[in-house]
Parts: sequence; C-alpha cells; structure tokens
Amino acid sequence: MLSTRVIACLDVHNGRTVKGINFVNLQDAGDPVEQAKLYSDLGADEICFLDISATNEKRKTMYDVISKTADSCFVPLTVGGGVNDIKDFRNLLNCGADKVSINSSAVKNPELIKQAADKFGNQCVVLAIDAANNDKMNSGYEVTTHGGRNKTGIDALLWAQQGVNFGAGEILLTSMSADGTKKGYNLKLTKVISENVFVPVIASGGAGSPIDMVEVVIKSGASAVLAASIFHFGIYSIKSVKDEMEKNGILVRKCEN
Amino acid sequence: MNLVIIDYGSGNLRSVENAFKISINNNNLNFKVYVSNNLKLIKDADYIVLPGVGAYADCKKGLLKIDGLIDVLIEKVIVNCIPFLGICVGMQLMAEQGFEKEKTVGLEWIDGNIEKINYLSKDSLGRNLKIPHMGWNNLNIYNKKHPVLENISNDEQFYFVHSYYLNTLKKDQILADTYYSHKIPAIVGQRNYLGVQFHPEKSNKSGHKLITNWLKWKP
Repeated sequence: MLSTRVIACLDVHNGRTVKGINFVNLQDAGDPVEQAKLYSDLGADEICFLDISATNEKRKTMYDVISKTADSCFVPLTVGGGVNDIKDFRNLLNCGADKVSINSSAVKNPELIKQAADKFGNQCVVLAIDAANNDKMNSGYEVTTHGGRNKTGIDALLWAQQGVNFGAGEILLTSMSADGTKKGYNLKLTKVISENVFVPVIASGGAGSPIDMVEVVIKSGASAVLAASIFHFGIYSIKSVKDEMEKNGILVRKCEN
Repeated sequence: MNLVIIDYGSGNLRSVENAFKISINNNNLNFKVYVSNNLKLIKDADYIVLPGVGAYADCKKGLLKIDGLIDVLIEKVIVNCIPFLGICVGMQLMAEQGFEKEKTVGLEWIDGNIEKINYLSKDSLGRNLKIPHMGWNNLNIYNKKHPVLENISNDEQFYFVHSYYLNTLKKDQILADTYYSHKIPAIVGQRNYLGVQFHPEKSNKSGHKLITNWLKWKP
C-alpha cells in the first residue's frame, strides 16, 4: 500500500539553508547539500528545495547545490523558486531535480504549466500555491505571490483546479497565515483543496509537532506532509514524525530503507 | 563490461547514471557507464538500461527519432539476449500498446497494454485515491527466487510515479506487483529483459539493492 510521504523542505538563500517566520526574519540553518543527504539517510521520503535567492547570479549557486545533492541523495528532489520559463525547467532537471515547482510565474503565465507538462510530463510539474484567508473568495482562500506580498484576487481552489487541468501533477499548498508559526497546518484550507482536485496535495506551512502531521492527513486528506523548521533545528526527527503517524494508522515508509 | 543508458531525450538521465555508478562503485563491479544514443556504442553494450519519463507517445517518438535505434535494441535484447532493464515509461515501452495521449504501438516484448489506472476509490483513511500514483509503495513478490530480487522483501518500498499501468492477462511475466486501487505490475519481463514501473534510482537503499542485483545478473 502507498505510504504517506514526509517531505523535508529546505529554503535556500545564496547557497545556505534558511527559514524565517512568516517569510521574514531569515535565520541561517546550514548547508543544504549536507542536510538533504542527512534527511534522506534519516528517512525523508522526498527533499524539497525552495530557492529564495533574488538574483540570477545567485541562481547559479543553486544549480551547484542541486547537482551536488543529486549526486549523493537518492530520493526524489523537488526544486522551486524563481522558475520563469521552460529553460529554467530544463536547467533544473538537467542538474538532477526530479520535479520543479512553480508559483508566481504560473499565475502570470498559466500556459507555462501546460508547456512544461507537455515537454517533461505532468509528474514533474508541481504547482505551488501560497494561499491566504479571504472571505470574499468562494473557497475562503486567495492566491498570493511573491512570498505573500502580492494578492492576486484569484480563488485558491479555482486556481488549483485550473492548474491541474493545465497539467500540474501535484499541488504544494502553503497556508500563508500558518507558515512558520508551528501552530499546525491550516486544516480547512488543505481539506477544501485536496477533496476537490484529483492530483496529490502536499500540506505545507505551520507544522509544529508530529501530531500536526497526523491531523492534516486524517482530517484534511493530505497526500503528503512537508515541514522545514521543526526538522532543521532538531526539534523533531523524521522518525519521530513517522512513528506518530504509524501509531495513528497512517502507513509510512520505514526510515531504515 | 559496458553499460549503456539510452539517451533518447527522455528521462532523468543524471539520476539514473548516478545511481548505477554508486551501485557499481560500492560493490566493486567492473562496469563502464555510458549515457548515449550512439548506435555503435549500443551495439557494443553488455547491459542496456532504457529510462523514460513523460508521456508514452512522446517517449516512443523519441525512440523513433534516433534512426536505427529500435532495430539495434531488438538485435541486442531479443537476438543476442543481453540483460536489459526498462525503467518507468522505459518499462511500459516493452508492452504491446500504450493509450496515453494517443494509441501508440510499443516494442511488443511483453504481453499487455498500458492503460490508465482506475482510481475511483478511497484508501483506508477515507482519502480519495489520487492520480498520479505518487510515492513509496511495497512489492508483492511472486518470483522470490529471481536473482534480481535477491535480499529484497515485501516490506521494502520503492518510489512510484505514474498514471498508467501495464494491464496484462499473462501473469507469468509479472515478477512482482504493487497495490494502488488495484494490482499494478511493478517488475515484469522474461528471459534476459526486465522492466520496473518504479524508479530504482530514486528508491534509496532498496533501489540500490535492486540495481546491484541486476548488474550481477547473468541470464
């Protein structure tokens, strides 16, 4: 039977891992290549890099990080951040990324989802949605871009469904209000999206303890759970998360394999 | 020994190459690894890997684009009987036909067609099953004595990502299957050629075991 995935996410800035609270106040949390290898050895089912470097020259540093990670890390690797066109997709995949996540660029140009899915397959196009509360939206959530700074006026559920129709193979769903707070995932948001699209939905933003991961799977139907800070600072191990999930009847992959 | 990973414009070639090289180095195996579409190199190959990512129809077109490639593959795999491994769509291409995007004729080395997973059901937690079948799943091994499955148990998990599967009535060519909504062949083949629906190159230690077994296989 299929295991529920536990994904370790590394926000990378100028070649170093960082994690802030609500996308500001960046704190240094180490070398992404070493951390990715460590996480895969310790049982992470996937690794996700989010490149938050602003400039193109810093992106080259990211290619180097991805190549080195792909050489030593044999679990799927998703990379996102600053992906603007098909060329960026190709560069990242050639470095060894398995999936590429797109966010602002897809909102600006939804055709990019289609082009990438046609060219590289649906499985490698991850649509990242940063959703914020907005009662004016039918689903109750609005798509934001640029780390939550820009509101788009687009309903998060409609956008998720449209993205899937364009060919996204997976949705990486981040709650902007929960992100970095360690107070738990946004259960309502995750439920409304994962019940209404046919591709897997990764819950992101807000994980503070293993029980948060259990809740978002059981109550909201998430296909996978993603977390960053609780792993980086050694607050919880991947194994402690998986043990808690297993205790609650969620199938997980054994950390030793 | 020469191992050629076929480069036909499809697939995560770097990951596949890396994973095979690590298995070779860790086990002191004597292999040279080439990622190539050079027909002369392929003719000299002792082992061939056909990766594949993306849509079936596109992958088949990629094979056809390299003039003479399919003939060389048939000569090496079907006539000379060297060890062959198809990965994901590379495995699916071994079937008779694929139905992703458009009806496409495959290599016809194994019986059955590549059809969409029937996913209109729920899992044990009441979640809707999603497409693609994405993530780590167990094997149910039928042929435990096969050398490629040595030391691999039903508890181990492999990384799958696919929306189509091999639908076949010929059960003796299935070495192992997995379960997602219904049974899905995970390792198929006969004689000297095998195909895996999952990605051994992304399946960490379990994947390395399978790759190493395959590299040591002398069918």
